[in-house]
Amino acid sequence: MSETDEYYVGRCLDGHPDDFRYLLRRYQAVLLAHLAGKLGNKEAAEETAQESLVRAYFKMGTLKKPESFFCWLLGIADHVVKEHQRREQIRRQREVLRSFSEEAPKPEFSQDYALEAAIAELPEAYRKVILLRYYGEHSCNQIAERLDMPLGTVTKTLSRAYAILRTSLQQQHKELNEV
Amino acid sequence: MNCAECKELLVGYVEGFLDDSRMRAVAEHLRGCSSCRGQVQEIEGLRERLVTNGKALAGSDLENGVMNRIIREQKIQLKAQGGPGEAPNIWRIIMKSTITKLAVAAAILIAVGIGFHFIGNPLGATVTFAEVIEPILNARTVILDLIIGDEETGPVMHEIVVGPRMRRTISNMENMIHIIDLESGNMLLLDTEEQTAVYVDIQGSVQERTRSYVEFLRKMIVKVQDNYEKLGEQEIDGQKAIGFVARGPNEEVKVWADPETALPIRIELRLGQIFVILKNFQFDAPIDDSLISMDVPSGYTLKQTDFDLGNANEQDFIESLRIWAEVILDGTFPEAIGTENAMKQIPLLTEKIGQMNIPEDEASQLGMGFAKGMLFHQILETQGRWQYTGGGVQLGNADKVIFRYQPEGSENYRVIYGDLHVEDVAPENLPR
Repeated sequence: MSETDEYYVGRCLDGHPDDFRYLLRRYQAVLLAHLAGKLGNKEAAEETAQESLVRAYFKMGTLKKPESFFCWLLGIADHVVKEHQRREQIRRQREVLRSFSEEAPKPEFSQDYALEAAIAELPEAYRKVILLRYYGEHSCNQIAERLDMPLGTVTKTLSRAYAILRTSLQQQHKELNEV
Repeated sequence: MNCAECKELLVGYVEGFLDDSRMRAVAEHLRGCSSCRGQVQEIEGLRERLVTNGKALAGSDLENGVMNRIIREQKIQLKAQGGPGEAPNIWRIIMKSTITKLAVAAAILIAVGIGFHFIGNPLGATVTFAEVIEPILNARTVILDLIIGDEETGPVMHEIVVGPRMRRTISNMENMIHIIDLESGNMLLLDTEEQTAVYVDIQGSVQERTRSYVEFLRKMIVKVQDNYEKLGEQEIDGQKAIGFVARGPNEEVKVWADPETALPIRIELRLGQIFVILKNFQFDAPIDDSLISMDVPSGYTLKQTDFDLGNANEQDFIESLRIWAEVILDGTFPEAIGTENAMKQIPLLTEKIGQMNIPEDEASQLGMGFAKGMLFHQILETQGRWQYTGGGVQLGNADKVIFRYQPEGSENYRVIYGDLHVEDVAPENLPR
């Protein structure tokens, strides 16, 4: 499990689909946090995470830089989210037409939706660092390597991300109390 | 340190990535500043939340769902490709690695001589068998499918032959095109997916063998013009066909032809221990010159290599036996060798080379080395004066004979042992 992403990508391409497990384990939490924040619903996050991973596997041959597997995977996930949201929209429109009075089932929020939503709103560079640090269990050094940025930039980005997250969570909290 | 300076460093302090002196400075400031201590608590709280949430998500059971779907969809994709079992996918995956592509291409090249022997001088003889053979020998262009070994599992090579040029594509390797020029002894390999091109030198044995195949077929026809055997009529590939069989000491040719037009429908060759099936013929179809051009197509990048597959010798063969035992089979010689077996080993060879973690040029030398040695063996394969007895022998065993053959024009035999040393042995002294 300590091999690089490039190694496992190569293994998959060489006909060892089972090695995809290692990439999956490495990024499953990252992906789920990324998606849960965007979709606000645990079930939808799991469904789209699964779809994103399956797509990533079958598209692996088109991945030009295996070392950037992580960013590539998030790109695929964003695409899947868009498709999902489009479908959801159509579904909701139909539901509205069908019945006004019936209340739609409440989505099951994930364990800390407020946090995930705040992460989803972070600018991309901050979001990637937070996701890798806490959901991918990367050290700052590993993040520097993965995102190809100097260590100093990683630590600065992380500090800044904390500041934004705190503000955004406080804001959420305030809005919630006002309601 | 004032509060503003301290706040900048608090995340680093909580995360522990500050250097010692700043760590101490922050700690000192915190002792005297309750406001900053409050900030630290808040950051720690957020950190705790992130870590907890991360752990919770890592515990989700996505893995089985994803892996099951991958396996299921892969099977569906395989079926859609129409191939039996998992073989097509293995080939497709192999084709993604440039090194392996070259090695496979080289192994495929083993069949080069066989595919070519249709084009020769017109025979002029008017025997029935030769009549059937005549369109093959005289056609300006021939398109056909060629299968080495088992018709059910062997990859199908689709060949377009125009004089000394041929263009070959192989089923389940849709991205590779081989264009072979037997006049100059050169092969152009095109990878249509990556748009790269490679020239491989095939001067020497391949050219000679091509000539010898033409010669072989001529001799065969001359030899059997009085004593070929008729096989009678039979349905072949849904068509009424009349069959002929011609046998030599070490070879057999069966030709099935349309009884009305005398055009061949199917040819089965046994050359020593190689079986080849040729079918789906088209004669004198118009063929665009660009299809058999030896120039690198526009938009393709030419890659420089020093691959030379010409004039394979005994040393190359020994090297390929070493690779087979050491790299492919973890120290044991294979149960059987030969073109068909070698082609089937390529996926495993690729996998093992991949595991070795060696530079690309070393890896490609291994792949090419294997193919080149097998080219040498293929010449023997069609002549039959060889015997392989290495099945299960350990690499390094100096007492066990793994291979013996009698070189062309030689009285003595060459005997190869399990440690890959070679001895020149008179026929009467051959080990039992």
